Formats: sequence, structure tokens, C-alpha cells
Amino acid sequence: MMKRIEVRLALPVVAPLLDVIKEVADDLRENLAAPPDLADLESEFRDAWVAELLGGQNREVEALLALFDEEFFSEGIVAFDSDNAETIVRAAAAVRLQLRERHLKPLGDELLEGGDINVMTLEEKPRKAFMCYLFLATIQELIIQHLDKSILDA
Amino acid sequence: MVPQRGRVGRAEDLRESHLQASGARVHSLPVVISNSKLQPAEDVRTELALEGRWLVVVLNDPVNLMSYVVLVFKKVFGFDEQTARQRMLEVHEQGRSVVWGGLREKAEAYVFTLQQWHLTAILEHDETH
Repeated sequence: MMKRIEVRLALPVVAPLLDVIKEVADDLRENLAAPPDLADLESEFRDAWVAELLGGQNREVEALLALFDEEFFSEGIVAFDSDNAETIVRAAAAVRLQLRERHLKPLGDELLEGGDINVMTLEEKPRKAFMCYLFLATIQELIIQHLDKSILDA
Repeated sequence: MVPQRGRVGRAEDLRESHLQASGARVHSLPVVISNSKLQPAEDVRTELALEGRWLVVVLNDPVNLMSYVVLVFKKVFGFDEQTARQRMLEVHEQGRSVVWGGLREKAEAYVFTLQQWHLTAILEHDETH
């Protein structure tokens, strides 16, 4: 039987973060979250390589955005199972990387990695970005904790 | 595409299809990329650049979770928990970890798969070989 986890989210907390996630998702349509160093590949092969990565990244991010559908706005629930676990955990990684690139770099990598940041001291934009960053990390942790076998066996 | 254990990503397919499209030859071992317009000397240089042992190196980033990196290493390389954690800690503490070494084509495929997982992975020629 397929393992499935449902997570009830606090709508008033999560809904305002979705605009930030969508904004970052727009960035990711044409940019890789972790731009690769492919300097020693022939240019045509490099272009094909990047296009393939970008196509995969776009599919992942679309799947992440699709979690926040009508059901989410009426019930506040998102669901993960073996069908979407890998896609969502990867999409969350891409969006978190881009959140850092776009909004969180001024915080410094050491602080970001340690996570010891008082959100109340941040301006609205980086505060929302950091909340998204934590929210997506929580989703990743939940998936890895409960569905890692599904991902490894897929 | 979804990478599967025992089969790395699409870089091998990408290289093959790119080479076929460009009319280039694909040799088995060592990998040789050539084009009929190239002079033999250039062929030799390309062959020398691609042969030997290549390393797949993962570099640290301040974003990806430790548990995520462990999962990726287990998934992509089939590492057990202990090995995956050891490699992840190398990345975290030393800034890099060599996670695989071998033929260029296979190394490219691993780098591609790691990049699909949004890790910072690079290819390095193993100068000790």
C-alpha cells in the first residue's frame, strides 16, 4: 500500500508566503538554481546539458506550486506520497537555493547555514523569504523522514 | 527525469545523441570525440584530454540540508547510511568531497545526476593517474 502523509498547514501563515515562492519560481524558469560549471564541455553539448537540467527543474517547480491548489486553500492540507516525494523534495531544494540568491545573501552564509536568525529583526521582504526558506526545509525534512524509502526504491 | 539507482542520469544519453547529431564518432574506451573536419592532431589532443581517471567532486553550499545530501548520495551512488553521512560531512567540513572516480563518460553522468538534485558537482581530472 502506498505510503502517504498529509500535512495540515496554517493558512494565514503559509498563504502570504506563496507569492514569494511564485516569484522565485518565475526566476527558475530560465535559470538553474545551482548553475553548473561546464566550462570544459563542447558548447553544443553544454547547451543540451543545461536545457535538460532546466526542463527537469521546471517540471519539479510546477509540481511544487500545484500542491497549493483549491483543496489547499479550502482545507489547508498538502499531501505527499511515493509519486511526488522526490519531485517535491528536489523542487524545494531549487527554490531554497534561489531564495538565497535573490533575497538572503546579505544575511551571510554562516548565519544562513546555522539558522540562528531572529526573523523579527528582518525587513518584510527578507523576512518572508526566510520564512519560505524554513517552510520548504520543513517540507523536505518531513518527506525525507517519512518517504525516504519510496525515493530510494523508486 | 527520475534518476534510478544503478543507472545515472541522462548525460551519457545526451552526449551520445549530441555526437550522433553532429556526425561525430563515439568510441567505447577511452572516449574519443572527433569530427571528420578536424585534423588528426586535434583528435589526439581531444583524446588525451578525455582519457584517464576523472573525479566527481561535490562542493559545499550553505543551503541544502545535511539530510537531503545524505539522501542524494544514497540514491545516486547506492551508498549505505554511514558512507553517505561520511561524504556529506566531508562536503560540509572540508568544502568538498570526491564521491566517485573513473571513466569520463560515467563521471559526466554522475555529475549530471547530482546537478539534477541541485547539488554543486564538478568534474576534475585525476592528476595522480
